[in-house]
Amino acid sequence: MRKSILYILTFLCTITIYAQDVEFGDISKEMLQQEKHLNDPEASAAVLYEKTYITTRYIQGQGFQLETNIHRRIKIYTKEGFEKANHSILLYKDRGENERVSGLKAFTYNLENGKIEKAKLRKEGIFTENRSENWELEKLTMPNVKEGSIVEYKYKVVSPYWQNVNEIYFQYDIPVDHIEVVFEAHNYFTYKKHYKGYFRLEPKEEIRSGKIRLTSKSKSWAGNRTSVSEDEIDFDYKISRFELKNVPALKDENFVSNIENYRSAVKFELAQVQMPNDIPQYLTKTWDDVVKTIYRSEYFGGQLAKTSYFENDVDELTAGVSDDMKKAAMIYNFIRDKVKWNGNYGKYTDVGVRKAYKENTGNVAEMNLILTAMLRHAGLNANPVILSSRNHGIKMFPTLDGFNYVIAAIEVENAVILLDATNYYGEPNVLPMRALNWSGKLIRKDGSWSDISLMPRTAAMRVTSINVTLNENGDIEGKQRTQFTSHNALGFREVYAKADKEDYLEKLENNIGDIEIDEHDVKNLKKIGKPVLESYAFTKESQAEVIGDKIYFSPLFFLATSENIFKAEERVYPIDFGYPWKRKIMMNIKLPEGYEVESLPEATAVRLPENLGLYTFNISKTPMGISVVMSKEINSSIITPDKYSALREFYKVLVEKEQEKVVLKKI
Amino acid sequence: MRIKFLAIIAIILIQTTGRAQENLTSFLTLPTQLTDNANAVVRLDETLVNVKAIDDMEISQKRIVTVLNENGINKIGAVVWYDSHVRVKDIEVKIYDKNGKQIKKIKERDFEDVSAVEGGTMYSDSRVKYMDYTPTEYPFTAEFTSLVQTPNTANLPSFHPLSYFVGVEKSTYKIQYPTSFTLHKKERNLKEFGVVKEEKEGVLSYTIQNMAGIKPEALSPSEADIKPRIVFALNKFNYDGVTGEVNNWNDFGKWMYHNLLDGRATVDDETKAKIENLVAGVTSNREKAKIVYEFMQNKTRYISVQVGIGGFQPIPAEEVNKVGYGDCKGLTNYTMALLKIAGVESYYTHVQAGSEIVGFYDDFASLAQGNHVILNIPNKGDDIWLECTSQKVPFGHIGDFTDNRNVLVITPEGGKIKRTKKYSLEENLQETTGSYALNVNGNITANTVIKTKGIQYDNRYYLEDWSETEKDKRYKRYFKTVNNVNIDEIILENDKETITFYEKIKFNADSYGVITGNRMLFAPNAFNRYTNIPDRYRSRRFPLEIQRSFFDKDQYEIKLPIGYTIEAIPENVTYETKYGSYSYTITKKDEQTLQYQRTLKIKEGLHPKEDYKEYRKFIKKIVKFDAAKIVLVKK
Repeated sequence: MRKSILYILTFLCTITIYAQDVEFGDISKEMLQQEKHLNDPEASAAVLYEKTYITTRYIQGQGFQLETNIHRRIKIYTKEGFEKANHSILLYKDRGENERVSGLKAFTYNLENGKIEKAKLRKEGIFTENRSENWELEKLTMPNVKEGSIVEYKYKVVSPYWQNVNEIYFQYDIPVDHIEVVFEAHNYFTYKKHYKGYFRLEPKEEIRSGKIRLTSKSKSWAGNRTSVSEDEIDFDYKISRFELKNVPALKDENFVSNIENYRSAVKFELAQVQMPNDIPQYLTKTWDDVVKTIYRSEYFGGQLAKTSYFENDVDELTAGVSDDMKKAAMIYNFIRDKVKWNGNYGKYTDVGVRKAYKENTGNVAEMNLILTAMLRHAGLNANPVILSSRNHGIKMFPTLDGFNYVIAAIEVENAVILLDATNYYGEPNVLPMRALNWSGKLIRKDGSWSDISLMPRTAAMRVTSINVTLNENGDIEGKQRTQFTSHNALGFREVYAKADKEDYLEKLENNIGDIEIDEHDVKNLKKIGKPVLESYAFTKESQAEVIGDKIYFSPLFFLATSENIFKAEERVYPIDFGYPWKRKIMMNIKLPEGYEVESLPEATAVRLPENLGLYTFNISKTPMGISVVMSKEINSSIITPDKYSALREFYKVLVEKEQEKVVLKKI
Repeated sequence: MRIKFLAIIAIILIQTTGRAQENLTSFLTLPTQLTDNANAVVRLDETLVNVKAIDDMEISQKRIVTVLNENGINKIGAVVWYDSHVRVKDIEVKIYDKNGKQIKKIKERDFEDVSAVEGGTMYSDSRVKYMDYTPTEYPFTAEFTSLVQTPNTANLPSFHPLSYFVGVEKSTYKIQYPTSFTLHKKERNLKEFGVVKEEKEGVLSYTIQNMAGIKPEALSPSEADIKPRIVFALNKFNYDGVTGEVNNWNDFGKWMYHNLLDGRATVDDETKAKIENLVAGVTSNREKAKIVYEFMQNKTRYISVQVGIGGFQPIPAEEVNKVGYGDCKGLTNYTMALLKIAGVESYYTHVQAGSEIVGFYDDFASLAQGNHVILNIPNKGDDIWLECTSQKVPFGHIGDFTDNRNVLVITPEGGKIKRTKKYSLEENLQETTGSYALNVNGNITANTVIKTKGIQYDNRYYLEDWSETEKDKRYKRYFKTVNNVNIDEIILENDKETITFYEKIKFNADSYGVITGNRMLFAPNAFNRYTNIPDRYRSRRFPLEIQRSFFDKDQYEIKLPIGYTIEAIPENVTYETKYGSYSYTITKKDEQTLQYQRTLKIKEGLHPKEDYKEYRKFIKKIVKFDAAKIVLVKK
């Protein structure tokens, strides 16, 4: 249906160099008559045109200001698209230093009886919401919006925070026909451009000259004369001009870690400030600079260096222990029991390690910098690792914002052990999902650093051994024991520890569907590092069809996979499982008396290419009945989309196999 | 059409009396039986509502809560909703460790203060202050005290001391009011939960004690019907500067009409002429109303804006006409204005909307009932109800959002309680017809038409607007008892005249028939298998309520694969209980063709809790019958 999206993307998305200026209000009947989007007939709305023009101005008495001009024209096709007729502008404010909106002009265009009617957005359609202390929302809702309408608006945001230019998007959840971005860099400022997404973004660069006018007033000593003098400073603007046409809508898929990683965008990062007659100021430039800037920060390196607040506790804790790994384990457990994570992320500390330690609660940086410092104090080769969490996405360029999380690493011979103190039920090298995002940077004491992979190598296991007795009416009863390791154990512990036990059982019963569970037991819940063991006895009705003198049943009963989780026929983005895993079931079935096996499904094995996955299904007769061993595994955290059809087929085969029936007949 | 118009009503909560309650701040003194099914236990809740004058009410609350685990944190209730009329005078939280020792104090300035505008709402002045605290250990105890003052006396806090998964040691509610006022009230389930009432002139109080946690149960009546709950209303009140005297729904309707609606239902002459032109020559009121309704649907869209008399007053029709949008109040009032021009009398109507049926009390009038507005056309006894916030819903269809419940119809003469349309079992029909063929590999090729009406129409008609990709996903999920479905064709038809939705689906799938040796097994019911068995409760506490009836009818022709013959076929079934009935028959048309016919009827009704098990058994049997297989064997 959607054959090779990538191909279409590169084909439709052309870059033109010279653009004709699109005039505000220049709306034609043809645009209004259009009923469906040409390339994406299902689109509920489309951006017909968008221009972002950003420049920096010097205002005497106020300093530099960043000015962002937005002009956007949106076509609404269906009622689902009506929400695109609402627009919010997020503004930052801090002690009178506020971002402001000005020059707002907005109209809705409709075709009525062959005539273009335009309706102006008036103040009744503009609302201001004080979101919180620092954030304000300016919300617009356009008048007279119908299917077929075009809404168009333009405005300017003036910001005193000229150092910070937001990411500029070229792609939305609706298609974009034509988009332009013009960025003017004052020659006092040097910016680096960083790109993400599927499209090649190549700006056209040019130079424009500008002037800064400075007026100064002076009063004569006599007191009644004021003289005014004017100075002019010449400078250049370096202009980067982007233009894209026919950008398709960004659509999410399941098993994608963060769709933002794939959205087409450019980020202008301020790299250098060179004021006249001043020495140049270098801001972040390389990963090396970024890492060093973070490391030298008083909220990072400065906090890591503090030790006096915990020394007594750690010395007492590890007194008499000589084994390094034992010490590490003790410290890891100690810090997790003492300090609770407050749910906040951060590469920098918030209240500081000392206060967090004293008050027993802190953010990610506080907890893991305390942990790292403690491990070092106890003599281990421990270092912090900075990274970007999953919901923060992946920043492809060197920026301070590329990191929002810290964990601790212990380097031993030929291995690195990763620890996260915010992960109450985690084990060494079993990081919470939020931190499993490709790679991080490990920073050593001397400030040197290296990339380190965060992707788990050990498969998370879930192994069930189960004994089932099948009755002649088709009901089953039995006992099962399941072992969970690494990420599966972490997931189990997090759910089970929180739950009301009775409630957990009810949910377990109702999730499996109409099973009755008894003798439920969980072992090693608190023994982190050991597998969790969950066991129970069960009865379940109607697990086999009794037809005439035969009984038919799927030999994995309720443990069979009954649905293919990959239903879509095509795939654009990589499939992200988070970690490698393995599921295994060893089943012994006791048959009802007076019946024997007439036929069994055949054994099978399916392999994914490049050893990415393996499924095996074996079944045989035993003296008492039947034995089944099923095993499936995915050996990589991430599978690229070119392997999608193989993966889908893999699941199709295993679902089919597990639906196949054993046939018993009366002796 | 998810709408709120009472976002601001949540002025609940708050303040303190200074008595020491030390024994309540320790976990050690908590009676263990209260922790059953509980994430938190309310040790003490003292709410005092002090009405000093028609425009002066003070609400104070002291609430001591022992939090047992992470899920219990939000039960502390350290949240204050307010707006420009409400003054938050004093809020504070003290945190105690498990031994009852105070470890932290959170003052008002340490509370987060943010706007409480929900996503989807364009404007509202509602704000919220809440405590942001990370517990360092469980259990711990929080003591929240607050004092709030407001000139609005139209909404009095209600007393509903029990919420899910919370135990209660003691909770009291006291209301004081000048003796020149009359206090109306509606009390529910007091006896069942041992709520003690004390009544004196100008003072009324309630106390509940020693309740373990309650957990929600599927198919139970709505919370308001099964838990203790008392709602109040004064006979005289002030709302944003508008006063009223109301003793019953009639008074209330009058007050609403004259203070909030009157004079807002006019439009300009151009629109007037347009409407007159549209209905010229049409004689039936129903037909006129339909034309006007569709005109309104095409002209407007829904935007939530909460302004004017506490969010109760509609934007004038003239304004909606100009900008082409409004919320439920504005759009309903606008439709009413247009209908008037067309010569059709209609009435603005308050309703409690939601798929769970909650109606207005017929003997107790208050502003706090209802969260949505619809339009009523009396139509000589054959009432028409209009949902004005949807651009898609057919004329006269209200669906499960506002069906079968008591509502307040507001007329210039006063308010009246009426009941909205109830959809009967036969009306809530789904009829699935079609045919499918199996080949020798067990692969299926299927062709089916699903026709839905009534509430079942409600669950489908929106699919029309989904994208092809979403539809593809949706039907793969719908036919989930057939694996590996490939959809070949989806044609959806929405007949708004008869309010019928047609889904014409063609699909194919590998291995629907499971081959085992020289046999093939398959379930004849390929298109509409019932699979959801309601949850089992180890001990059921609340009655069983089925809120709506429905009727499924199925008829398929099945072509068997060549080279196979039938070895076994499930016997015909007819099964009837007081909850509904089920039947199927399979008949042989010829050697290669079978005819499958099935009916499932579920009847609405309220049954004692003991019946839940029986009902589950009924459903389990249906699930089993629907999964019954035909066995084919190679010739």
